[in-house]
Amino acid sequence: MDSAPTGLARSVAKGKGRKGSISPFRMTLIGLAGVIPVVIGAVLLFLVVYAWPAIRFNGIDFLLTKTWDLGNLYADPVPRHGVLAPIGATYGCLVFVAGTLASSFLALLVAVPISLGIAVFLAEGVKRVLRTPFAIVVELLAVVPSVVYGLWGIIVLVPIAAHIIAPVLAAVFPFIPFLAQAGGSGFGLLSSSLVLALMVIPVITITVFEALNRIPKEAKEAAYALGTTKFEMVFFTMLPMIRPAIIGAIILGLGRALGETMAVLMVSGGALNYMPTTLMSPISTMASFILSQLDSAEQDQSGLAVQSLAEIAIVLFVITVIVNIVARLMVRKGAGVSR
Amino acid sequence: MTEVAIAPSFNRAATKHRAVAGRKLRSSLGWAFCGICFLLVAAPLIDIILLVLVRGFSALSVDLLTQVTQGVSGGLLNAIEGTIVLSIGALIIGVPIGVGAGVYLSEFGDGRFGQTVRFLADVLTGVPSIVLGYFSYVTMVIWLGWQFSVLAASITLAIMILPYMAKMTELVLRQIPIPMREAAYALGAGDRKVVLRVLLPVALPGILTAVLLSLAISVGETAPLIYTAGWSNYLWDGKLVRSPIGYLTYVIWSFINQPFASAHALAFAAALLVMMTVLAINLAARAILRVRGG
Amino acid sequence: MSDGTFAPRLTRAQFLKSVSLAAVGLALPGVVGAAQAAGLTILETGSSLLYPLFNLWVQGYSKIDPSLRITTQSTGSGTGIAQAIAGIAQIGASDAYMAGPQVKKNPTMLNIPLAISAQNIVYNLPGLNGSALQMSGPVLAGIYSGKITNWNDKAIAALNPGVALPNHTILPIHRTDGSGDTFIFTQYLSKSTPEWASSVAYGTTVSWPAVQGGIGAIGNPGMVQTTAQNPYSIAYVGVSFLAQVQAAGLGVSPLQNKAGKFVLPNPQTIVAAASGLIDSTPADQRISLIFADGEMAYPIINYEYAIVNAKQPNAALAKAIKGLLTWAIDPMGGSTGDYLSKVHFVALPDKIRMQSHARIATIAS
Repeated sequence: MDSAPTGLARSVAKGKGRKGSISPFRMTLIGLAGVIPVVIGAVLLFLVVYAWPAIRFNGIDFLLTKTWDLGNLYADPVPRHGVLAPIGATYGCLVFVAGTLASSFLALLVAVPISLGIAVFLAEGVKRVLRTPFAIVVELLAVVPSVVYGLWGIIVLVPIAAHIIAPVLAAVFPFIPFLAQAGGSGFGLLSSSLVLALMVIPVITITVFEALNRIPKEAKEAAYALGTTKFEMVFFTMLPMIRPAIIGAIILGLGRALGETMAVLMVSGGALNYMPTTLMSPISTMASFILSQLDSAEQDQSGLAVQSLAEIAIVLFVITVIVNIVARLMVRKGAGVSR
Repeated sequence: MTEVAIAPSFNRAATKHRAVAGRKLRSSLGWAFCGICFLLVAAPLIDIILLVLVRGFSALSVDLLTQVTQGVSGGLLNAIEGTIVLSIGALIIGVPIGVGAGVYLSEFGDGRFGQTVRFLADVLTGVPSIVLGYFSYVTMVIWLGWQFSVLAASITLAIMILPYMAKMTELVLRQIPIPMREAAYALGAGDRKVVLRVLLPVALPGILTAVLLSLAISVGETAPLIYTAGWSNYLWDGKLVRSPIGYLTYVIWSFINQPFASAHALAFAAALLVMMTVLAINLAARAILRVRGG
Repeated sequence: MSDGTFAPRLTRAQFLKSVSLAAVGLALPGVVGAAQAAGLTILETGSSLLYPLFNLWVQGYSKIDPSLRITTQSTGSGTGIAQAIAGIAQIGASDAYMAGPQVKKNPTMLNIPLAISAQNIVYNLPGLNGSALQMSGPVLAGIYSGKITNWNDKAIAALNPGVALPNHTILPIHRTDGSGDTFIFTQYLSKSTPEWASSVAYGTTVSWPAVQGGIGAIGNPGMVQTTAQNPYSIAYVGVSFLAQVQAAGLGVSPLQNKAGKFVLPNPQTIVAAASGLIDSTPADQRISLIFADGEMAYPIINYEYAIVNAKQPNAALAKAIKGLLTWAIDPMGGSTGDYLSKVHFVALPDKIRMQSHARIATIAS
């Protein structure tokens, strides 16, 4: 458990000891909370049932190969692995898994420190009068439609990535192959991660800012009394106080990064059949690939193409689960160390 | 990866002995970093707004707000109306469930069920919108025979905002100190009263922020709506099923792919409208809060 | 402490009141909309290439039948076909005819050509964008499969004698999203280059070979933008976007046709290509116009199809669809230069138009 139990359950247990009876009100809450598992269950069930022929057809190769070929949709499908499949059809999602993990990880690497910096800046660093307008700036960032991020990415960010960031990185880190590719179009991992970071920042910032605002005055004053500077007070006393909120915010942001489609699609360079090797490599993410291929897949009369896209969704689902578990484990471990 | 950023281990005794000047310097550097972070996101935002303003400027007119779309010209009244209808629909469905789930997670959610729900909420944010859209397309639009409809689209958006609402409500409620709950119980209030009369009113500003963020995220989406709301050049006919409806993000996505300059201007105008609509709602909510807060 | 935090308590009634007031205010336009009488509605969805023209048609046709409500949507050819089959949309727009297996499974679906479109091969070579660099199917196939990687390759030089080609890597740009443009481009490569046909083949999406420097872009505007931003790139762009291509200062390549001649797309070369295939067009009108015979024939052109179910749920709907489509291909109606020239499309040849009329006539309830 990563947070101090603050809930009513605790108060009730302590105060009145009527743990056993469950009121209609509590039942209602359980029902509402139960909607989330039900929705997830329905979506997952749908995906598995829908993708079943593809799961049978693709087998384990789906996860291990990087070739995606719809095959010949204009000839009659032939039976293979017990399923009617277009001639030449092979489906492998390794490229998309790599693109998704790399772009989401880099996005968080950029977004987390910046978000914390902004949240602290808004909560403690600016005059009260400026707080609201500055907070609105961050909230506006969440309001920008995904497509507009994509357009801005193509027009502004991609050239900056290609002509400024890439050459500078190549000049500073010529010995790190991952960073040292000066050429390239700008469409790819770097631009995708930066666009994702911009989309994730408001989610994390707003949540952390809200939490900072809710820290009781007494706690702040106590920290001051210890003779720390204001900055030290904020960073080393206030931020640890809201650790659960920060972790929750980062996990929320991670979900947003993993699932984002349109903006990433527009600046990713649409890699197909090859893996990203450098920061400037074109990539494809699982979510953006599903979006971009759904239309073509619908022309496959055997249905295998759409079913394989559904299988990508299942893989993304599983990856999201794993990433969440890993994030929680890291949090728990970190919590143990710093206490 | 999270640890580096949030919890540098801090040895108070050691720092006390450091030179005051060094600490002051570190402090100013820290604040400078925070300020730069803010500039790092403010600059792209301003650039994006300028881009949208400049490119959409030629389409900004009264017609935009009073006419329906005719092909790729005319106004965007149908799309504005559709976006508002769909957002309200999504909020009506998504907010009560999300807040209820958030209350449960915060107040009673330390058991196994709570942990599971919390975990699944995080997983749900990672499900791509297009997957939710296609899910709704196959189940509601085709299987249930609703066709393109307000209901299918609103439910899809509601599913999208559900985890954000639940998680953010939980985080807000967890910030409320326990003594406040205990005080209310001591006065003889039950669960229901404590939640509705004490906790939710205190948490209201935070919950409103969550609603606004959810709204922003759902209103900015195109992919799930293309397969559920369809698109319509006309005003909504008031039917919940079997009647497609327009929305602003569709205009952005499909008009930007047209060969006509007028269509591009409309696309950017639509982007501006999306942002302005959510901003207006945001400001209104803040105003309400301020009036109430006294 | 508790004083401060308890202060902003608002009674539930007050809260509910403000929320419901806001909801009523925002929902008002919906109520107004509901008051309007709903007539017959036709949904058109699919091809983003046909979409601009269809929008122009809707504007024109609304003067002829003002009571008919037509909604157009740009989603993609595959979606157009799928939703027309599912009965969600009445007209599916597609750049490609339905595949054989699809027709077999859905025998009542009609493929009705409405107009002819074409595609430009564009490039961005500093200093050479005005010199109409000539291209052929095998050379393009070589570039897109990674076998020809430098602009000064002798295969390109052979097509362009006397042109000083730069020593620079070629950046081939392809569509990432499924697209009719990819369909006709790869069909040109397949028909002109057996090696491409046997390895990559054609489709609205193909399994692009990994090429160093290759870029995927979204939509035709994305193709134009990406080409403009990346010197030494080459791309394929729908003919509707000629104005954007020219505004971006890109070069347009004359393409080698089956007769070995290099031609640019224009109404003459497009008609020349289509007319060679008039007599061989089957009754169901599913035919590729790519790489057609004829000295003047431009090699990458295609029919824009309406995919319609011949069996409609009711007679009124069938009649409305027939009326709209008949008008759209009428040389006195929707197929005048006023409509077509805005997107650089070409009207159907007479014989094909009669065929389309015959298909439209079979739509019934």
